[in-house]
Amino acid sequence: MFRKFATSTAIAMILAPVAFAHEGHDHDDDLTHYRVFVGDHDKPLVTAFDLTEPEHRWSFDLAGQAKLFAVAGGAVVAAVQSDDDHVHFISSGIELHDHGDHTDLEVSDPAMLGAPLTGPRPFHLVDHGGKVVINYDKGGYAGIIEASALAGGTIGEANFPQSYPHHGFVAPLGPVWLGTVAADGEGARLGLQQFQADGSAVGDLAPCTGIHGEAFSGAFLAAGCEEGVLTATIAGGAPVFEMLPYPEDFPQDVTTGTLLGSTAIQVFLGNHGADGLVVIDPVDQPHFRRIELPFRRIDFALDPVRPAHGYVLTEDGTLHRIDLLNAEIAASESVTEPYSMDGHWNDPRPRIAMAGDEIVVSDPRAGLVRRISTEDLSEIGTIEVEGQPYNLTVVGGSGLSH
Amino acid sequence: MKNRLLPGIICYVITSLFSVAAQAERLNVVASFSIIGDFAQQVGGEHIDLKVLVGPGSDAHVYEPRPADAMALAGADVVLTNGLSFEGFLSRLIAASGTDAPIIALTEGAHVLDDPAGGHYHMNGDEAVFHAAAQDPHAWQSVANAQVYVENIAEAFCAADAGGCEEYRANAARYNDELAALDQHIRDAVADLPPERRSVVVAHNAFRYFEDAYGITFLSPQGVSTEAEASAADVAGLIREIRQHDAGAIFAESISDTRLLDRIAAETDLEIAGTLYSDALSAEDGPAPGYLAMMRHNADSILSALAPR
Ligand SMILES: [Zn+2]
Ligand SMILES: [Zn+2]
Repeated sequence: MFRKFATSTAIAMILAPVAFAHEGHDHDDDLTHYRVFVGDHDKPLVTAFDLTEPEHRWSFDLAGQAKLFAVAGGAVVAAVQSDDDHVHFISSGIELHDHGDHTDLEVSDPAMLGAPLTGPRPFHLVDHGGKVVINYDKGGYAGIIEASALAGGTIGEANFPQSYPHHGFVAPLGPVWLGTVAADGEGARLGLQQFQADGSAVGDLAPCTGIHGEAFSGAFLAAGCEEGVLTATIAGGAPVFEMLPYPEDFPQDVTTGTLLGSTAIQVFLGNHGADGLVVIDPVDQPHFRRIELPFRRIDFALDPVRPAHGYVLTEDGTLHRIDLLNAEIAASESVTEPYSMDGHWNDPRPRIAMAGDEIVVSDPRAGLVRRISTEDLSEIGTIEVEGQPYNLTVVGGSGLSH
Repeated sequence: MKNRLLPGIICYVITSLFSVAAQAERLNVVASFSIIGDFAQQVGGEHIDLKVLVGPGSDAHVYEPRPADAMALAGADVVLTNGLSFEGFLSRLIAASGTDAPIIALTEGAHVLDDPAGGHYHMNGDEAVFHAAAQDPHAWQSVANAQVYVENIAEAFCAADAGGCEEYRANAARYNDELAALDQHIRDAVADLPPERRSVVVAHNAFRYFEDAYGITFLSPQGVSTEAEASAADVAGLIREIRQHDAGAIFAESISDTRLLDRIAAETDLEIAGTLYSDALSAEDGPAPGYLAMMRHNADSILSALAPR
């Protein structure tokens, strides 16, 4: 059944270039459209282009280097410029409306939305439960934006005060708000706690030393800590926290700091140190299954079309397919030149993102975005992007154009 | 020394080979939720290894599938589902598992009711979860439909394991006889009720098939908004209906919240007369560990609450 779906997606993709949304067809078109947004490493610039028609191209000026997030169901791309205290919002021009039995897809030009938000060191962005939440690490607050209003083009930010400024996050989970808590002074992160919308604390702090890297899957939020991975879920209207300690037979003194959550099944993929990944099951034992990587990790992603798959790029330039169910590397292919992980974390290195049946890989040194097939990890093609293409995000999908 | 050990080792190897072979012959069956799991066990007996995804007391509407579920589907010979969009998680789980197993919708060929409201609400903790469906998925609430499920399971098992077919058919026939007796039991009991005492109130209307088959009217708050609480107008409308129908009792539901019902009970003279099982079996030590017990428990609870005193 799943294979049939994959095939029809592939066929739809071949048809996509001819079946454009705004050409006034009098019948319904089944089309697939992915649009890639790439932030430059050095210049305050975002380049957007359509994956299969990269000559459809737009560029947007920013204040600085941006990390890009597709938010509000892909209607908007947020460009978080941590070093330059700005967050710009770009309407993606791709609208997907789920009607239950089918999805409508509307395509238009992307456009910069209104005035950017500004604040002291915006960093982690959480897009969950109808809210987009930006943590201002040096501001001691988070900004809460209604995703539906944002999708409609309105940027309104509510202030969520924190006790002390820190590199943390605030996130809605079901009916409650959760936020990281830091100590006074150096901002050492202590754990996670429930808050009211006005920032007043409820209940006890769930300890999670150095908490970092939040993700959602199924009914759970998970975050990495020095002692393990902390999970939170809702029971009877209140959060229930559980610390899942790293197994004793794991390499010691390394931790999880980045997590991704599957949207299909309740499972997380996280890093474990520089050269390991962990598949985390918040309910069933074993909670952790570690995958040893041959080299240090540059970036990793989950496949929403084939939810058992994830992809990780390692510093030798190899892209690996991860089998989440069996917690193993299932395939590996060389896709870029080596990019050593020695040096600064923010040095120009590739980033990866999913686009249906493809993995798009930014290759800053080559000035390219590479299109890699999820089927066999072969290169489908390359797209030239001026400057040093770095952080990227993809919006789009398949649907009907009426 | 070596030689003396060898026969023992060979013996051990042979026995373990046999037990592996015996297990491999069993059909790997995945059932989406507890009621279908019970049907599958009745039909499959010793021939199947059964994995139930949404267990007793759990609500399939809000279930979050786990990696172990995807693994179970990946290794399944047959996957049994209700269909009619009952299992909202299923397509995600199938995609995650990459399974080649046939996915059987057991409502195929059943007498299916359209849902005029386009779906129904479940109270899940603080949230009212709307379960959108053009057709009412709770088809097992009519025993005649349950018999269709059982036939479909026997067919699916026969297709996957021709060797066990005769036994599957025999098991299905035996169980369907029990279902026929149950159906008659409910009909006889309802026939004893005065015609004007045949209405009850439930939280989520999962009983339209029961209503259609047996002539008991189930009233439920239809206009529950996606907010946590039903509006005053919704409750007022329901209370009017309760008076109109002279409803005889209010029932809680095993998978639903009772707060709304407590409110309705407080505003009418009715009491909460017990708990009905709609979308899930109870634990083994509860009143509804199997489908037969569940339907008997529901029917007997309703009938004793409505019986003239
Ligand atoms: Zn961070
Ligand atoms: Zn239901």
